[in-house]
Amino acid sequence: MDPDTIMGGPHGRFPSTQLSLLEAATAGAALPNEAMERVSALYWKPVYRFIRVKFHKGNEDAKDLTQSFFATALQRDFFARFDPAKASFRTYLRVAVERFAAGQHAAANRPKRGGGVEFEPVEEQAATAASAEQIFEREWQRQLFALALDDLRAHCEACGKQLQFEVFEAYDLADGHRPPYAELAARHGIAETSVTNYLAWTRRMLRQFVTERLRGVTAGERDLRDEMRRLWN
Amino acid sequence: MELNDAILEHLRHVAALPDLSGTRYELECEIGRGGMGVVYAARDRPLDRRVALKIMDSALAGEAQLIARLEHPAIVPIYETGTLPDGRTFYAMKLVAGARLDQYAAGVTSLNERLRVIRRTGEALAFAHTRGAIHRDLKPQNVMVGEFGEVYVMDWGVAAVAGTPAFRAPDARLDQRSDIYALGALLQFVLPPSMPPALRAIAAKAMSVDPTARYADAPALLADIERFQEGLAVEAWSEPLWHRLRRFASRNAVLLWLLAAYAGAKFLLFFLRNV
Repeated sequence: MDPDTIMGGPHGRFPSTQLSLLEAATAGAALPNEAMERVSALYWKPVYRFIRVKFHKGNEDAKDLTQSFFATALQRDFFARFDPAKASFRTYLRVAVERFAAGQHAAANRPKRGGGVEFEPVEEQAATAASAEQIFEREWQRQLFALALDDLRAHCEACGKQLQFEVFEAYDLADGHRPPYAELAARHGIAETSVTNYLAWTRRMLRQFVTERLRGVTAGERDLRDEMRRLWN
Repeated sequence: MELNDAILEHLRHVAALPDLSGTRYELECEIGRGGMGVVYAARDRPLDRRVALKIMDSALAGEAQLIARLEHPAIVPIYETGTLPDGRTFYAMKLVAGARLDQYAAGVTSLNERLRVIRRTGEALAFAHTRGAIHRDLKPQNVMVGEFGEVYVMDWGVAAVAGTPAFRAPDARLDQRSDIYALGALLQFVLPPSMPPALRAIAAKAMSVDPTARYADAPALLADIERFQEGLAVEAWSEPLWHRLRRFASRNAVLLWLLAAYAGAKFLLFFLRNV
């Protein structure tokens, strides 16, 4: 499979306290577009990966389908049809993507009259569907944390806490070996207890930014709490 | 920033860790998690003792306080409730050393011992119900048997918890009768496959689909278990005549043996007189 696109990556923008999707949908005519931006910032990559895996699309086709989905969703009053009583927004969006992409996929692959039709075996379909869903969930988490990390970095820079972020980056974002606290303390010229405190602070802030990002794409407090529970448990 | 799976997992883990700065506790390790929250072992620094810390959503603070007011020998005592810097609620409780009921039941063969644990659990439920609290998620993993045989019911429920499928009543809205259902399921769980039919009937009545067909309250269920242990007829089962006779014989074995001996002696005397 060709490499994934770099489109839909996180943007380093500090979020204000975000309105929930339902608040956004009812607050005025201009807000749904802003809500849509929030949704696409978080969901573009998961949708793209889901389409690639589920419908066996190449990079360009998957990008086009993803773009079309978000463009179509904007035009078709997407938020108005979302009922939080029936499902979480994440599930609603994933099902919508699946229907949209399946329709596009079927249209593109419609056989000519007299042409042969090949069916995927049921077992293979089920296995693909499950793994595509898992990939969607995983990418969604990855993107959520990537956006929250950008928020955290921007926040640290804005309030002069770059050192806290550097300690956090050296420890929590380390790929593989995590340096001992004593080594980090010596490297940055601070006490070991400061390393503990800096990490506690940045982790707390990260959690806060994750919550804020989630708030912007959920339908109120209950939906937010459910998503938080799923994310942390 | 591109995050690989290992870093993402680590971030999920560390961002969920409670920030205990400003509290009297020092985090040790995670010891359990469920729908309601995560439980950690922690050290209470001023008192130099280990405690269990349950961290949960701030929306559940009210219920945490309700649970904290339940004082009963079979309910894990809550030492303190509070709020973390990120807004989550926590409560500190006794750290129970022992085995969960599912582990404990696997190593115990005595029927009476298994029933003792169920009765203690039922007593805790009965007490909580009189205080307006319901458990909502009673299951073997939420009952601990301590080193000295003491029984603790843990993880008292909150509105957000839906219960565990095998032990959850099929009720639209969970209430005290839903706890009765779970207690019945717990009874069924701890009993051996060849359980006495009277006990099977007690569990079945407690687990009736129709809530009104269940025991009215926990004491009614406990009374039926007690009747079984004393060899009396249980409310949940209209036993056949042969079973009633067998139970009568079992309860009055000494009397029946005396009667048989008396009849035997009379017969022997009669026989000797007529020889």
